[in-house]
Amino acid sequence: MTGSKPSPDDPDRLAAEFALGVLEGDELAEARRLDGSDPEFRAEVARWSGRLAPMLDDVAPVQPPDSAWSGIETRIAPSATVHSLTRRLRLWKGMTAGVSALAAALALFLLVPRPQQQPLPPAPAPMVAMLGDAQAPAKMFAAWDPRTSQLTIMSGAAQATPPSRSHELWVIPADGKPRSLGVMPSGKTIRIRIIQPMVSQLAKGVTLAVSVEPAGGSPTGAPTGPVIASGTLESA
Amino acid sequence: MRSEVVQTMAHPPAGSLFPALMVSGMNWTMDRTPDPRQDIQAVTGLLDRVSSGDRDALADLYDRTSAKLFGICLRILSSESDAEDALQEVYVTVWRKADRFDSGKASPITWLSVLARNKAIDRLRRRRVTAASLDEASEVADDAPSAFDIVQQGIETQRLAGCLDELDAKPRAMIRAAFVEGATYSELATRESVPLGTMKSWIRRALLRLRGCLER
Repeated sequence: MTGSKPSPDDPDRLAAEFALGVLEGDELAEARRLDGSDPEFRAEVARWSGRLAPMLDDVAPVQPPDSAWSGIETRIAPSATVHSLTRRLRLWKGMTAGVSALAAALALFLLVPRPQQQPLPPAPAPMVAMLGDAQAPAKMFAAWDPRTSQLTIMSGAAQATPPSRSHELWVIPADGKPRSLGVMPSGKTIRIRIIQPMVSQLAKGVTLAVSVEPAGGSPTGAPTGPVIASGTLESA
Repeated sequence: MRSEVVQTMAHPPAGSLFPALMVSGMNWTMDRTPDPRQDIQAVTGLLDRVSSGDRDALADLYDRTSAKLFGICLRILSSESDAEDALQEVYVTVWRKADRFDSGKASPITWLSVLARNKAIDRLRRRRVTAASLDEASEVADDAPSAFDIVQQGIETQRLAGCLDELDAKPRAMIRAAFVEGATYSELATRESVPLGTMKSWIRRALLRLRGCLER
């Protein structure tokens, strides 16, 4: 048990300071070391945490934002993403009526040759992708028209972006490295003109993904936030 | 290969994917329950189920406790988005470490509260570290082994409050600022415009008096 000698060099002093959280620098490093190696020290820290913990009772509860839980779910079930990808491919052929109609309309739109189109050798075929997550496999529908270099994304409902965040669109080719296609404007139907070198990334089988990023897009050039929807680009 | 990438990108979504679930499921049982003992039992039961991998139990636990824990994170971090990130870390940690909770040593709410407090403080410290050493800091600052071994020994809110009241006003405020807001020695010294050594001896004396009082 804790000794009662109030000497300034009380061996338990460091444990108390560690539990209180005031330590810095070398003392903090020493406390961390002891915490990892000395069961007595660790026990004393635990006792001090217990002593101090009731101070937290006074802190008023605040309801967290709705988005907090979905992030936890995503993180405790990373394999769900894999399942959802497989599931989405299966769903491809048996989508809900509304989205099917949407997809059909869009496919038609893509397949009808436009008059202003120059008569070129067989153009690369348009492709489509269903973007979603494990809970909602069909959040967005993406259509890639290589003839116009235009990527059209339709959402069942406008995707709400939290303030000070942006949705950013990514292509993940076979090498697994996400490349940004740009920050998505808001709206139910979005058209993005893709320029080289990204055009050549949009091939059959690549993944399209939408992540939540700080306003203006990822500061690092790679996705930093949660992925709200992803899907595989397939032949239309 | 592709799935691997998607996983690394799967950070906490900020989009609201389950608004209906959250709104309907939310209650602040921890603070409003008429019988705290019943609540302790319920939360202990949930932690037990979580430790065996029951996702529904984690969702229930979240509904019961997230407002309390978010309040703690927000108090320490002051920023809602940082507090949200910390809250997510708390429940992800609970998911992995629920088996470390020992109902014989502390109430589950105390255990969760301290966990939330520690996660929020880790984040607070990380925020202050320069970008260059960010990765390093995030590794070092994670969960001390003692983080999951809270021992309460029957120390209740009122008892601690009584002992804190026996301290002088200033050290009392310092102790609170350190534990509830995450202030370090040097920050407290700056805040009070006293030399670091003075602050250290104030706090050390206060801690000794506190322990003496609590063990009486």
